[in-house]
Amino acid sequence: MSVHEQFAEDLSLYALGALRGQERLAVEKHLETCQDCRHELEQLQGDLALLALSASGPRPPLHSRERLMAAIAKEPRRATVRLVQRKPWWIALEWATAVAAVAMIVLLLRQNTDLRQRVAALEADSSAQQKQLLQAKELIATLTSADAVHFTLVAAKAPPQPQGKAIYLRSTGTLVFLASNMPELPPQKTYELWLIPTSGAPIPAGLFRPDSHGSAALIKPPLPTGVEAKTFAITVEPGTGSAAPTSTPIMVGT
Amino acid sequence: MLSPDATLVSAIRSGDEQAMAQLYERYSSIVYSVALRVLGETGAAEDILQEVFMQLWRNPDAFDATRGSLPGWLAVITRNRAIDSLRKRRPETDISDVVVSVEPDLAGSAELNRALEKIRGALGGMPPPQRSALEMAFFEGLTHTEIADKTGEPLGTIKTRIRAGLLTLRKAFCP
Repeated sequence: MSVHEQFAEDLSLYALGALRGQERLAVEKHLETCQDCRHELEQLQGDLALLALSASGPRPPLHSRERLMAAIAKEPRRATVRLVQRKPWWIALEWATAVAAVAMIVLLLRQNTDLRQRVAALEADSSAQQKQLLQAKELIATLTSADAVHFTLVAAKAPPQPQGKAIYLRSTGTLVFLASNMPELPPQKTYELWLIPTSGAPIPAGLFRPDSHGSAALIKPPLPTGVEAKTFAITVEPGTGSAAPTSTPIMVGT
Repeated sequence: MLSPDATLVSAIRSGDEQAMAQLYERYSSIVYSVALRVLGETGAAEDILQEVFMQLWRNPDAFDATRGSLPGWLAVITRNRAIDSLRKRRPETDISDVVVSVEPDLAGSAELNRALEKIRGALGGMPPPQRSALEMAFFEGLTHTEIADKTGEPLGTIKTRIRAGLLTLRKAFCP
């Protein structure tokens, strides 16, 4: 087996979803560049599937089938065409980077129509798209670099106010969120972003703590697809976050 | 060549409800069994069953037929979703990030029964502490740290038992 020994046990724990924080990030960073360990992760998921199958036996109640088919009938879909073969997340990361970068540009240029034309042109021209991807990476690096200095321009003599910008694409559940001038938090607290749907309970959209300049970003946090957002809101939560808001929002989208 | 599962998933992509009904007939028992083992309650297991199949209906592209087995993928995402539900937390893993490479063919009931026999044989042959650590991690969603606290065993021992247990299962099909 050519899996890197220092990751062998952690890969099993990662497949089980048992790693948190830095341990999880270290494995994900390694997986981005190590094909052998990615292959081993797929094998481990297969081992877990075998373990799952050991539970096989019980059959669902008969009414379950009718319940499912009725739910499906309520959600008829147009046929979709699969344009590209789906790639694993570490390859999709580049695509996510491009999407996030495009969103950043939209933010910076105030969603002007000129940018939309540029995006359309990029989609049609693969060489131009490659160039755009490189620019996007530079832009992301600039936005996320610890050395970057952030300025928020406000009316003269007005004190800097906390600000958040959320750009959300409902059809894919993709979200890019940027915050600035956020007050520091006690060590045991975190900010939590919430998607407030038009109906139903708030959906957690990611945890963040601002850097020393008060800036923070959430790029493509896990969200269900197809949820219509009424707005986004931010609360202060315990350090590990909450499944539902436990405090009054300190910031709400307009 | 596309497998029958891949053909059905492709039909679901086109909005074919009958294809969905066929996949339900094939794999609802696996999904329900895994959810029931994790949650221990039939109503909650049925909810997860509905949720998993609705996810497949809404987003069939999340399953990549060229890189894995559908029953294996369903079993793993069902376990992950059931553990999230057990721990009352939001879904932690994007289902399209789960790629499951399963050696045995599980497409028919005969194949599945043969595989089950081997899996249960491998589990039965494991030292009890190893099997227990593996099942606590998988079916109860406990982290290695929580298992170490619960059993009083060193953390390193628990990590080793989990990995060794998984490799034992794999070797049952690739000796």
